[in-house]
Amino acid sequence: MEFSGAVDIPASREQVFAFVTDPNKVGGCGPGVESIEVIDPTHFRAKAKVGVGFITARFVVDLEIAEQQPPDMAIIKAHGQAPGSAVDALGRMNLVDGPEPGTTTMLWAAEVSISGMIASVGSRLVEGTANKMIGQTFDCVRAKIVAGR
Amino acid sequence: MTAETELQTTPEVGGMGHSKKRKEDPRFIRGQGEYIEDVVLPNMVWMDIVRSPYAHAKIKSIDASEALAMPGVLAVITGKDLEKAGLHWMPTLAGDKQMVLPVDTVMYQAQEVAAVVAETRYQAADAIQAVYVDYEPLPVLLDPFEAMQPDAQVLRPDRGPDKQNNHIWHWESGDRAATDAALAASDKVVPIDVYIPRIHVASIETCGCIADFDPVRGHLDFHVTSQAPHVYRTVISLVSGVPESNIRVKTHDIGGGFGGKVPVYPGYVCAIVASLTLGRPVKWIEDRSENLQADSFARDYHVHAELGLTDDGTITGLRVKTLADHGYSDAAADPSAFPAGLFNVITGSYQMPQAFVEVDGAYTNKPPGGVAYRCSFRVTEAVQTIEQLVDLAAREVGMDPAAFRMKNFIRKDQFPYHTPTGWDYDSGDYHAALQKALDMIGYDDLRKEQAEKRARGELMGIGISSFTEIVGAGPSHTFDLIGIKMFDSAEIRVHPTGSAIIRIGVQTQGQGHETTFAQIVAEELGIPMDKVKVEYGDTDTAPYGLGTYASRSTPTAGAAASVASRKIREKARLIAAHLLEAAPDDLEWTNGKFTVKGSPDRSKTIAEIAFAAYTNHPQGMEAGLEATDYYDPPNLTFPFGSYICVVDIDKATGQVKVRRFVAVDDCGNIINPMIVDGQIHGGLTMGFAPALYESITYDELGNNQAGTFMDYLIPTAVETPRWELEKTITPSPHHPIGAKGVGESATVGAPPAIVNAVVDALSHLGVRTIDIPMTPQKIWAILHEKGVA
Repeated sequence: MEFSGAVDIPASREQVFAFVTDPNKVGGCGPGVESIEVIDPTHFRAKAKVGVGFITARFVVDLEIAEQQPPDMAIIKAHGQAPGSAVDALGRMNLVDGPEPGTTTMLWAAEVSISGMIASVGSRLVEGTANKMIGQTFDCVRAKIVAGR
Repeated sequence: MTAETELQTTPEVGGMGHSKKRKEDPRFIRGQGEYIEDVVLPNMVWMDIVRSPYAHAKIKSIDASEALAMPGVLAVITGKDLEKAGLHWMPTLAGDKQMVLPVDTVMYQAQEVAAVVAETRYQAADAIQAVYVDYEPLPVLLDPFEAMQPDAQVLRPDRGPDKQNNHIWHWESGDRAATDAALAASDKVVPIDVYIPRIHVASIETCGCIADFDPVRGHLDFHVTSQAPHVYRTVISLVSGVPESNIRVKTHDIGGGFGGKVPVYPGYVCAIVASLTLGRPVKWIEDRSENLQADSFARDYHVHAELGLTDDGTITGLRVKTLADHGYSDAAADPSAFPAGLFNVITGSYQMPQAFVEVDGAYTNKPPGGVAYRCSFRVTEAVQTIEQLVDLAAREVGMDPAAFRMKNFIRKDQFPYHTPTGWDYDSGDYHAALQKALDMIGYDDLRKEQAEKRARGELMGIGISSFTEIVGAGPSHTFDLIGIKMFDSAEIRVHPTGSAIIRIGVQTQGQGHETTFAQIVAEELGIPMDKVKVEYGDTDTAPYGLGTYASRSTPTAGAAASVASRKIREKARLIAAHLLEAAPDDLEWTNGKFTVKGSPDRSKTIAEIAFAAYTNHPQGMEAGLEATDYYDPPNLTFPFGSYICVVDIDKATGQVKVRRFVAVDDCGNIINPMIVDGQIHGGLTMGFAPALYESITYDELGNNQAGTFMDYLIPTAVETPRWELEKTITPSPHHPIGAKGVGESATVGAPPAIVNAVVDALSHLGVRTIDIPMTPQKIWAILHEKGVA
């Protein structure tokens, strides 16, 4: 599955970049995140509880900032596993000037592969659920950056 | 030809031809059946299974420490544990092997990876969430055509050095050169491609077992929902090393089998290992999603077929090339010599001068299998192809499909008919069955109606299927499962007071054995059927048999019941002669008693004879009145029928509505007409299902897309049309009671009738063939492409 979008955030490019590459900050916005462990500056491990329809699974997700050009671009790899389900994702983020002075537009794209029980019995719900979670995540990111500005 | 079996017994005795109510139904109607889930043993613990999210991946590590620390958890079993005992692989009935639990690589999504045993079901279900498996995903191979390419990754490197590819086997039948010549000399060759999709039997009761090993006695009781308990006992003994005498396999009531409960599943082996390890009864019950995702599938045949014709519509030959997708292991339950089952019955109901059929099996990253789905070993795939092809051929030579069939049918006087692929059809009257169906449905009027509707732009179609089944495996010279010949058995004991027990080697799963086998004994011995107890499903007491599938119960064990009864009758004759002080040859058997010829007042009933067998038997004769028969059928039986379906198609939605469906079946002599009608009702519904609803598909990562009944759609009473049934009766000449078997005819015969009706409705738009399931989306897309919707 491929997802992409653009989000306008009323903050500078540096502020946005700093927020979204700091696991302790952005982690709180991830769907169902229960804990974040920082292994090194580019490797993190998150535990998250995610529900699709009637299935709920507790994922352990290994995240890696695979490439970054502060404050313009970052590529993040994720590999998550839950009992009977797995998710592999590659996300790319580009930050550009927003429509208003002092704002930033985040252009993002992600390739997500979902395997196992969630993909099988939740297949018709996965895309809708993923879109909802992505929307909630960016709403949260925007709100927290604005609040912390 | 008559539509009713001639009655030889009174309704009180209830032999063949009587529509006796089923003896098993009172407990089912009252909700007092006993299924495996109902069985609770003292000290019993529960097992649950960790499954793979990936369709193909390396297992880097398994960490069960958190699970083992959870309350009530007793054990976690992995492939590495089984490897130490050599139990990580097990043989399949098809001569391949499959993993019990993987040591390093998973081969399909939802494959078993580890088994967790805990004190309660909930503890086990919670604990599987705490087994952490670290995987490294591998590329998945899902398309069998790609799998057969020389550069494809090899999915099963465990096979020998000469088998480092994904080609499981090649099987062929018939004369290739003669068929090529026949087709080359034909006026016309009509090709068709048919994909018969992967489907699932979806029995309402999922798989389940209780393995109960008693370490003190060294004895394993294995309670299981199985169609073939004796085969299980032998396989368990071979795999586990426990002597067969120390294993008892016990079935209970079975909530549907349809072929899905013939294979031995990894979960069963895990439960047995767990019980051997813990010395406690271990219960495992699959949930619905596990059942749909991991148990043996059916079908998945990609068929290319060509039919040769002369300009006047006479069939000259048939050439068929097929690729069979078996998943990562060939776990089909076909007889050893038949890797593609009885698919070469594909010459169907037609005079076929030449035929050549070849099938290749391929490995892919999908669950293993290749079971029947209520069909006698790949016969559905054969009938689907030939019946669609015959319809298409009729259209291409400008003939009506009914007339084309009538022209090419094997004639009644040609039986026994030897087919170019080697079968000897025992008996048939195909013209009579089709004519009866045409008359019932009012075929000529329907064609007129269709022409009028077509002129108005409405879509209506009429489809015919005139199938020949091949059931009752099978003669020992050709048929075996893992080397065991496919005979079947019956053991009858007549008690002193004139009632009896019959134990059989076959296993009912809804077929009504407790009723029909009693009726066979009633027919042969005159003992009222309600005084004949039928027992099965306990390997300690039942005679060895190969179980129930492929419509084999009546052709094999039914024949054994008849022959064993006749053995008893011969002993009864000697006892009667002793009682009547007459010579045995002076006695004649009528209406359940022996009578002295010419002296109708001097007779002894079977009840009087039974009493004497224990109280007053002749000097020098063994007491008792019992017999056993292991019946080796001389041939298979060949039930047949003609079905006609009328459909209306909604142009706006693509919805296919079956308006009428007439089914004329011929299963030879009938034991219980009501049960036969019930079998046909169920079979037609299970033919209707894949035609319009059911299929298992996978996404590009190999995730099963049909893991619940939300996505694997089975028809209910709401969707199912009304079935109009009739019979013709053409007895099997070689079966003791002239019966042929009927459990699967309708499942085999129905789908092509429905497909042919839909194609018939759309043929004027240039539609030649449509693959099942014919969902509204698929039909609407065709209509849209043709500019109709």
